[in-house]
Amino acid sequence: MIARAVAMGAGAAVVGAAFALPWWANPGMLFLAGLTLIQALFALSWNLLFGYAGLASFGHAGFFAIGAYFTGACLKYKFGIPFPFVLALAGLSGAAVAWLIGIVALRRLAGIFLAVLTVALSEVLRLIIGYTKFLGREDGLNDIPRPTIDLGVVTLDLTSSEAYFVFLLAACSLLTAMMWWLVHSRFGRTFQTIRQDAERAAFIGTNVSAYRIAAFMISGALAAIAGGLFAPWTRIVTTDEVHWLMSIQPMLNTLLGGVGSFWGPIVGAMAFAAINYGTRTFVGLAEVIVGGILLLVILVAPHGLLGLVSALRARMVRGHPAAARETPLPERQR
Amino acid sequence: MLSEWLFSIYSGIASGLAVFLVAAGLSWVFGILKILNMAHGNFFMVGTYVAYSVVGQRPESLAAFMGASLLAAAVVGLLGFITDKVMLRRLRGADYHYVLMGTFALAMLVEGVVKLIWGVDLTTVNPPPVLDAPVDIGGVMVPRFTLFAIGAGLAVFAALDLALNRTWAGKLMQAVAADPWMAGMMGINVPMLLAVSVTASFALAGLAGGLLLPFQSLSPDIGNSYLLLAFFAVIIGGLGNIRGAFLASVLLGVVQQVSTIAVPNFPGLTVYVALAVFLIWWPNGIFPPAGLK
Repeated sequence: MIARAVAMGAGAAVVGAAFALPWWANPGMLFLAGLTLIQALFALSWNLLFGYAGLASFGHAGFFAIGAYFTGACLKYKFGIPFPFVLALAGLSGAAVAWLIGIVALRRLAGIFLAVLTVALSEVLRLIIGYTKFLGREDGLNDIPRPTIDLGVVTLDLTSSEAYFVFLLAACSLLTAMMWWLVHSRFGRTFQTIRQDAERAAFIGTNVSAYRIAAFMISGALAAIAGGLFAPWTRIVTTDEVHWLMSIQPMLNTLLGGVGSFWGPIVGAMAFAAINYGTRTFVGLAEVIVGGILLLVILVAPHGLLGLVSALRARMVRGHPAAARETPLPERQR
Repeated sequence: MLSEWLFSIYSGIASGLAVFLVAAGLSWVFGILKILNMAHGNFFMVGTYVAYSVVGQRPESLAAFMGASLLAAAVVGLLGFITDKVMLRRLRGADYHYVLMGTFALAMLVEGVVKLIWGVDLTTVNPPPVLDAPVDIGGVMVPRFTLFAIGAGLAVFAALDLALNRTWAGKLMQAVAADPWMAGMMGINVPMLLAVSVTASFALAGLAGGLLLPFQSLSPDIGNSYLLLAFFAVIIGGLGNIRGAFLASVLLGVVQQVSTIAVPNFPGLTVYVALAVFLIWWPNGIFPPAGLK
């Protein structure tokens, strides 16, 4: 109970400090903090798929880019759709694409084959965007204006970085809360039964492929919304957002933070941002450090930073239920 | 017009065999260890840089060029042995996703080290003088170096295929791939064979790096461009199947080159579309994975 209170206090402090950020951080820091929020949301969407439904998408940047380009185009070409609706539509289009991939591929493919298929599809998307004049070809969409939201009584002007950051933080918090509620609901727990043993889940009457497609759709929608929030923040969207390195990012964040935990991807995104910030000026060194840390995490602490924390706690508190639990690499399913 | 098509098929075969040189080691390690090594492309890159450091931008003779390639194979093979001892050994039997991410982390590490040692500038390396001039085959002028690449690809394929299917050691490898536990019970030194496989696979990557040095400009990105295609070849060929990887490499190379003529407006797209269609229709590849062949 005490640990829980400490964790909640720490979480509240982090969120509070983040809300106060526009008043004390310099613009560079603020920009980085915004990117971290978006990466955290993106990683959360990936972990819903991996940590809860047991499916790995290696082309998740495709969904992110769908949202980013959709929002970017809506704002840049002034379609006149209110911004919250733009985000919702971005999410819907992510879900629609996920559904399409799901009905074609998820029934047939899993593991490595699904991984490679998702890489291939995201590369296809990248090339198609690169050939589309409307989306700025290889140069992408630049000068994307930030939105203003008309609520009837008051108008929220998000043009300034500070205002948009607060909006971003509020949106990410809301979406995270929704995700928390989702994965702790009966619906979300069914994902976990499928991940642990799809065959038994089918025996007790779970429609495994329907749940997998649902997880894929929710995850795709959330990744697209993360992309939608990203476009007005950086004000430029390029094909880099569809590159497979971008697909790897949520995996790194999730692993670094801890796969088994809901908060893992968020902690990982923050830790990753800090590492990147610390090593940003050295060419090559950044890769060595990031790659080295990740390797160490996988070999030594496969449950990430949060896994380490709970292992330490278990060691300090005698008789803690987690004390007997080792943290080996999860074994391959037959 | 016809010669244009013939030429594109020819260069498709050449680039397909170049991809096979990378895919061979990837497929071997998957077949025997069930580890899909994301770092394979970057060790290929280490091979190119090692060979480049030996011969420089203008290799003087074919012998010097081949020597540099063999040295690259030795260096990368040694790195493979170390990697196996330190890392891959622990990933055996781990969940696929962790293996993919672990080897990806290794790939990042290697890329960083290469950038630290050799920098990020683009460099081009000429083929040795013997292989530099174009040659006339039935009215089509082809670069002599591509003939060399085809020869190298065929030689590596023949050597691997013979070694795996016709020699005692190859049969032992197949036994280990099929059932490591049972193979151990029969008195086969399984850990040693696994270490040998990893070392050989890395050495192949290093060799490919050396041999394909003049094929493209040298930059810390070349690992990725080959890796993705080699990955696809291994997947389409049926995981762990070297004959499958060979067929699929050539197929992908030809599809890629011919599509530059057939659909000139969308270069590069066809390979991915072909792969996606292939995976969905034929989810287990040309030869379904049944061990090392």
